[in-house]
Amino acid sequence: MKLTKRLFVLAMVALMVFGAFACTAAPATTEPAAEGDSTAAAPATEEPKAIEKVVYAYATFNNIPTEETLATVEEAINAITRDKIGVEVELKPIVIWDYSSTVSLALQGGEKIDVFQSLGDLSTAISTDMCLDITDIVDTCAPEAKALIGENWLAACTSGGKLYGFPTYKPIALTQMVIYRQDIVDALGIDMSTVNSVADVTAVLEQVKAAYPDMTPVAAVNQGNLGLSPQNVDYLTDSMYAPKGVLMGDELTVVDYFASPEFATICNLARDWYNKDLVMKDAATTSSTAAELMASGNYFCYIASYSYPEADTAASLEAQCGGFDLGAKTIGSAFLDTSSINALTWMVASTSDAPEAALKFLNLTFTDPEITNLIIYGLKDRDYVLSDDGFMSYPEGQDATTVPYTSQLSCGTLGNFFIMYPMAGTNVESLAWELEQNQSAKTSVAMGFTFDNSAVKTEYTAVANVIEQYLFGLVCGSVDPATEIPVFLERLADAGMGAIIAEKQTQLDAWAAGK
Amino acid sequence: MYLREREGYIPLRSRIRAKAPAPRKNLRPEGRLSMTKKKKKQQRASSAPLLLIAAPGILYLLINNYIPMFGVFLAFKDFNYRKGIFGSAWCGLDNFKFLFKTHDAWVMTRNTLLYNFAFIIIGTIAAIFVAVLMYELGQRSRVKFFQSIMLLPNLLSWVVIGFIVYAFLNADTGFINNTVLKALNIEPISWYSTTKPWPFILIVTFLWKYVGVNSIIYMASISGIDKGIFEAAQLDGATKMQQIFRITLPMLKPTIIILTLMSIGRIFYSDFGLFYQVPQNSGRLFEVTQTIDTYVYHGLMELKNIGMSAAAALYQSVVGFLLVLGANALVRKVDRENALF
Amino acid sequence: MKKQFRDDGTRFRLGSTIILSVLAFLILLPVILVVISSVTDENALISAGYTYFPKKLSLDSYYYMIKQSEMILRAYGVTITVTCLGTIISVLITTMLAYPMSRPNFRYRNVLAFFVFFTMLFNGGIVASYIMWSRVFQIKDTIWALIVPNYLVTAFNVFLVRNYYVTSVPISIIESAQIDGASELTIFFKIMMPLAIPSVATISLFTGLIYWNDWINGLYYLTDAKLYGIQNLLIRIMNNIQFLKVSSNVALLGTMNVDLPGTSVRMAMAVIGILPIVIIYPFVQKHFIKGVVLGAVKG
Repeated sequence: MKLTKRLFVLAMVALMVFGAFACTAAPATTEPAAEGDSTAAAPATEEPKAIEKVVYAYATFNNIPTEETLATVEEAINAITRDKIGVEVELKPIVIWDYSSTVSLALQGGEKIDVFQSLGDLSTAISTDMCLDITDIVDTCAPEAKALIGENWLAACTSGGKLYGFPTYKPIALTQMVIYRQDIVDALGIDMSTVNSVADVTAVLEQVKAAYPDMTPVAAVNQGNLGLSPQNVDYLTDSMYAPKGVLMGDELTVVDYFASPEFATICNLARDWYNKDLVMKDAATTSSTAAELMASGNYFCYIASYSYPEADTAASLEAQCGGFDLGAKTIGSAFLDTSSINALTWMVASTSDAPEAALKFLNLTFTDPEITNLIIYGLKDRDYVLSDDGFMSYPEGQDATTVPYTSQLSCGTLGNFFIMYPMAGTNVESLAWELEQNQSAKTSVAMGFTFDNSAVKTEYTAVANVIEQYLFGLVCGSVDPATEIPVFLERLADAGMGAIIAEKQTQLDAWAAGK
Repeated sequence: MYLREREGYIPLRSRIRAKAPAPRKNLRPEGRLSMTKKKKKQQRASSAPLLLIAAPGILYLLINNYIPMFGVFLAFKDFNYRKGIFGSAWCGLDNFKFLFKTHDAWVMTRNTLLYNFAFIIIGTIAAIFVAVLMYELGQRSRVKFFQSIMLLPNLLSWVVIGFIVYAFLNADTGFINNTVLKALNIEPISWYSTTKPWPFILIVTFLWKYVGVNSIIYMASISGIDKGIFEAAQLDGATKMQQIFRITLPMLKPTIIILTLMSIGRIFYSDFGLFYQVPQNSGRLFEVTQTIDTYVYHGLMELKNIGMSAAAALYQSVVGFLLVLGANALVRKVDRENALF
Repeated sequence: MKKQFRDDGTRFRLGSTIILSVLAFLILLPVILVVISSVTDENALISAGYTYFPKKLSLDSYYYMIKQSEMILRAYGVTITVTCLGTIISVLITTMLAYPMSRPNFRYRNVLAFFVFFTMLFNGGIVASYIMWSRVFQIKDTIWALIVPNYLVTAFNVFLVRNYYVTSVPISIIESAQIDGASELTIFFKIMMPLAIPSVATISLFTGLIYWNDWINGLYYLTDAKLYGIQNLLIRIMNNIQFLKVSSNVALLGTMNVDLPGTSVRMAMAVIGILPIVIIYPFVQKHFIKGVVLGAVKG
């Protein structure tokens, strides 16, 4: 009996080890080429030089198309890329909310993905060796993209002097605005030009509340967010909704944002609004978004940051917000830090077996309008129609959910935004304005610095939890800042905020010295 | 076959009076499977065909569960994509630190344990209660009707259930605040900011989703009880309640034990959807709604550290494993054949 | 003189009917709310909240879903196929594994029990499983990707069936069959399997529900939209919406002009997710109840 048990355990262990080796020994084969079937015609012909295959993984918000439909788009792209750069592309659209996990899983599992992007986690991708160092091959394979993006922005995607990817080239400079009901403003004769900061908004809200007691003046942008963000803060690689050590002002000194007077001011303002019934009570837990709330007609305005000029923003939001007449007023100014630029960075996978081909294709997504529009909109006349002056719209009677292929909503995450066909109803001049904003917005003194959090992983998770617990209530005014902020700060200290700040300062100083 | 002819028969009355069927020494208490040593020797020989029958299942578990266990190594590694699972550097117990170091770690552990205890105890009682009631309904159509209704909640995903709870509890337009409390003239309560009622809310939601499904297990077990015992009891004058408490419940003991043991093994796991979606991820409620799974999720959303998530999973497994070994050993001492192994 | 009091349980039955009715009503209430919300006008939903008596009704949500009906019907087909196929195979293998474990004279019963139980506790993680199934077995983008990983044999079901065999099937049956000269295989297929009907019915239900509700396998193993099951499809759509409601994600992408399906549509999606079961289940249940309630073994 004992012997049997021993043999059994031995067998188990042997199996585990065997299994482990079997799984890794198998070379990184590609999946049975699903696209190979439909593009069978092309490879069958004689080709003088080998065509390299590149798998391009991009995030999509629309429905995932079937393999056959995808193959048609791939074929259209390949017709161009085969001649231009000797590459055949396999498109891999992945749902946005699972994008990072899917790419991570695929790469861990040894699947072929050559080009993918970061969603706010470039520093993690670099520190875990997920992306390739392209410093050496960028000049030969992607000089056009490099020139387009420019040294300044590319600095945001470097670490230790090495370049790791290209940031999505699109309007990044976001300006804080208040989006309000134009019809109510007109009815009450309010002059919105006097509103130049968040504090100025209060007066307007009170006026509206007095005139329409049943209406709640301020709607939340989404859960836990009233749009009250501070100006000119560099978040040093963290999300602006969970900052753990920031730069405020022009000094290279890392401070705790939550201990700053600016934060206290914002919380007090929110609390003030809450007490005066100027803001929705359950902003901290709502499951609705600003558009939904505005569409219901019970709210007057909301505060958020947009990249388009005022008039455009208002016009483009009207449809989503229930068709009401909307206006927009800028109350802040744009500020760019490293993470605003590198939030969406396109990288070549470190495990790629065709890095140069991958980089060449990536270059095309930044410079070739045909390819970009194929990826975004699909096939002309089947998935979209183009008007004479170059505006895109869906074919008669169809929309984003019924056409065979569309990835229209990825326009903000893919390659070069400015070479995509504009959708019908957008203002072309604003594109120029946005481009100019990109260049002229105030930038942080620490532009180009990314923080590697491996040394403080434990503190990071602990602090993240504390922030999740306290932040929403504070910035939505549902708790009293006077009592809560001290508790919050204490819990942060207990969770290790100090250690994170110290580590950031060390890395920042080293980076500054290295410049 | 009459009761009286069965081996080791005990007169009916004493069976009813006894709190539970007395453990009979001559009859192996594993239900009614009993045998003598001689028979044992004869039947041991037939292991091979039995193994053959079990083979597909064994093979599947090997492939699906055992071989992939090498993934456990990730918990001890500092994962690097270029080097892969086997090339990445070992980092000892570093990845486990975040599970212990802070105040929150203690809170999440306490919550997970307490909720699971509550679920096991209350869930079992509720499921048995419903099962007994449904079984006694007799008429097939009624059973069909009630059972279909009870299964409906299980078909809804936690995201949807989160919306439903929100529909009842949200401060501005929730059903409770708007309709119920208004009618009773009570001030509206900000449910998502008050921690006190949430253990209750979460337990009720849990029961709502699972009592129908769980009661089915018990119904199947009850249906396996020999009808003859009930008839005899009835003949001897036992009331329905007596029959339930003296016959049905004790006969359910093996099932209860097995299910409880299995639940103990999962005691460090929590139903993520329940604790994340239903409280709408409201930070103010974390003290009572944070469990290990949600803590790991929050912590690793930003970090996306593969080693740390693997470490958390391993932590949950090991604790559950140790607890179940302990519980199983206990059960073996008291009631040997009902232990899991 | 002994009073022949026969409590045939009528009072009890009455009591239980009442209690169960109340319970059923309470359980049903939230589900009804979901259905009503799915036909409530979106704006009314936001301004007045969820209510049983909405101010304004509208079928807009269903129109929105009908536009995608081709996708939805295909998804139904996939899910139904997967559920049926998966349940049958699963029940077969599970019973085959559970039966030997229940035989008290089987030399390896405790070893097997431990072997099975261990899988409930320890898990190599998704990556290892993924490597196993997609690289070694190449089931990606096939219907088997929805059936085979994780759910085909679960320790829970195995123990349920084993437990049933142990408590409700007397060994005398096996003994008499052996005396008659039947082989182990015959005993199992001809006698023991049919005897386990209540248990089989139970695990069929559980497994069926699990397959119906599953969306995770589809998420990891499918890239071809053709093979998406209904829950997978709905969760994708819903999570897309959820994703854009989290501030940090919106900040990431710059606020976009996205016309998100509203709350009412999400409720409609939930209804669509449970509709087939609600329709089909009453027919399936006939056999199920017969098995569970009336199936019993006599000595």
